[in-house]
Amino acid sequence: MGNKYDQYYNGDGIRIMVLEFLQSLSDTEIVGGLTLLSLLIGGIIMAAGIIIAKIAKMVFFKYYAPTLPQDTAKNFGKLIYFGIIVIAFLTFTSSQGLDFSGLLVAGGIFAVVIGFATQSVVSNLISGIFLMVEKPAKQGDTIQIPDMGISGTLLDIGTFSSKVRKFDGTVIRIPNEKFFTSNIRSLTVSTVRRAEAMVGIAYKDDIDDAISAIKYEISITMPFVLRIPEPEFRVEELGDSSVNIQVLVWHPRDDWSQAQPILLITIKRALDKAGIEIPFPQRVIRESKD
Amino acid sequence: MSSEPEGVNFSNYGIYEVVENLEIYLPNTTVRIEKIGEKAFSYFRKDSEGKVVEKMIPTNSHTLKIELAPIRPLNHPARRTGYVFLKFDKEIYLSQNSAASIFVHCPIEIGVFVIHESHRESLDWITCNPINSRFGLYGPPDSGTLCKYAEVTLATNFSDSIPYVEGVMKIIIENNLTTGQTVSKVIFPITDNSLYYEGPKSILDGIKVTLKKRAVVNIADVQTDSLDTDWTKSPTWETSTTNTTMEMGLE
Repeated sequence: MGNKYDQYYNGDGIRIMVLEFLQSLSDTEIVGGLTLLSLLIGGIIMAAGIIIAKIAKMVFFKYYAPTLPQDTAKNFGKLIYFGIIVIAFLTFTSSQGLDFSGLLVAGGIFAVVIGFATQSVVSNLISGIFLMVEKPAKQGDTIQIPDMGISGTLLDIGTFSSKVRKFDGTVIRIPNEKFFTSNIRSLTVSTVRRAEAMVGIAYKDDIDDAISAIKYEISITMPFVLRIPEPEFRVEELGDSSVNIQVLVWHPRDDWSQAQPILLITIKRALDKAGIEIPFPQRVIRESKD
Repeated sequence: MSSEPEGVNFSNYGIYEVVENLEIYLPNTTVRIEKIGEKAFSYFRKDSEGKVVEKMIPTNSHTLKIELAPIRPLNHPARRTGYVFLKFDKEIYLSQNSAASIFVHCPIEIGVFVIHESHRESLDWITCNPINSRFGLYGPPDSGTLCKYAEVTLATNFSDSIPYVEGVMKIIIENNLTTGQTVSKVIFPITDNSLYYEGPKSILDGIKVTLKKRAVVNIADVQTDSLDTDWTKSPTWETSTTNTTMEMGLE
């Protein structure tokens, strides 16, 4: 007994203890030749794979991603990360001589059931891949999805869903399947965009005077409005109470906030300065004496 | 816009050393630099549109050196492009296989640079004529080129510069086509055109416009033409673009 304790307290004893422990793990079979020992080795390989994948992804994002477009960098990052994990898994299975074919055959019926249950998940996955390939919009683009009434900045096209930050600051998650099959209006593809406003002037006022006044005020106070193409004025309607003029101005794509929200203010100020009336709705009532 | 009292002498471009206070006089613009500590200065600027910029400048020495210089007209109202669209007030007609040199007024902005031992850093930029600092589009909305747009007049020579507002640029136009052509505008990347100053006046590197045939289409090839002058070259903080030429279609 004392002799055995001596063995345990020196290096040989610990080695023997570890070997006995590993032997017991190796003898414990879970299923189809998969033992507790191979599971432990697999866990170590997978953990190492995940750590290597995270480091590789971090190095990629730190040194290489800044030179690539945002969405390309993100997709490459995912490819590197999941690629290394898949390699780690294959290393584990091949090193342990595991054969999953039996498991797959046995699980055939189960897979069909799972397939039906996860139909939408697979659909989202496939749509996500198509979105990454087709690229109807890039990360950072301002988009509008009229079918869903969503406008905002595209944050991410993920594996199963995409995220859009709405203009109110909230983030909305859209399943890729819906995103892929919806109409997507990109607001950042063109170099310039157009802002529009409608204004009515009184019938007694001169249309040319009103247009000149608005044009002058826009040229002075709206620096983001393009000189070429010139602001456009269309007499849209001879309305019940006013002559309605549509004003269309172009501005650099990213300066919507410097054009659309202040266009009507500018028009109102121009007409006020020129003494041109913006009439209230009015109706002439004639009373018959009969 | 505010108006200057009569008899005000505007400040020249150049290097200024601030020991205590410095006031720079520009049209419709006030620039004031004051010493506020042992090694600290304050910068105040009010422009023609009433916008105020205030900055603190910590320094390594007891004085502050700045340079006032003309810069490319790309910053007001915001930097969005490196291209300039100059629309001539009079069209220029060139007969077949002929060439002409013209001088045009080109809008400029004014840069304020802090001078360090080995380099200059941009502290601020100013435009004395904001009304003429607008954008224009060359081409269709989906694929056109956004430019800074200006309607320009012809100048007589390099000394015809309008102080603080417009520099003079030389444009050489060559018509290598077999028909006469009318040129009414020129669009080019200005990021490779240097500016030079003397007193309150400024000039820019020129451009050479060649009207030629490529395959079956007539094009105007625009290239920068560097200037050889003894005027002082303005500093710049902009990175040069790799695109130094521009091709325009002919109408």
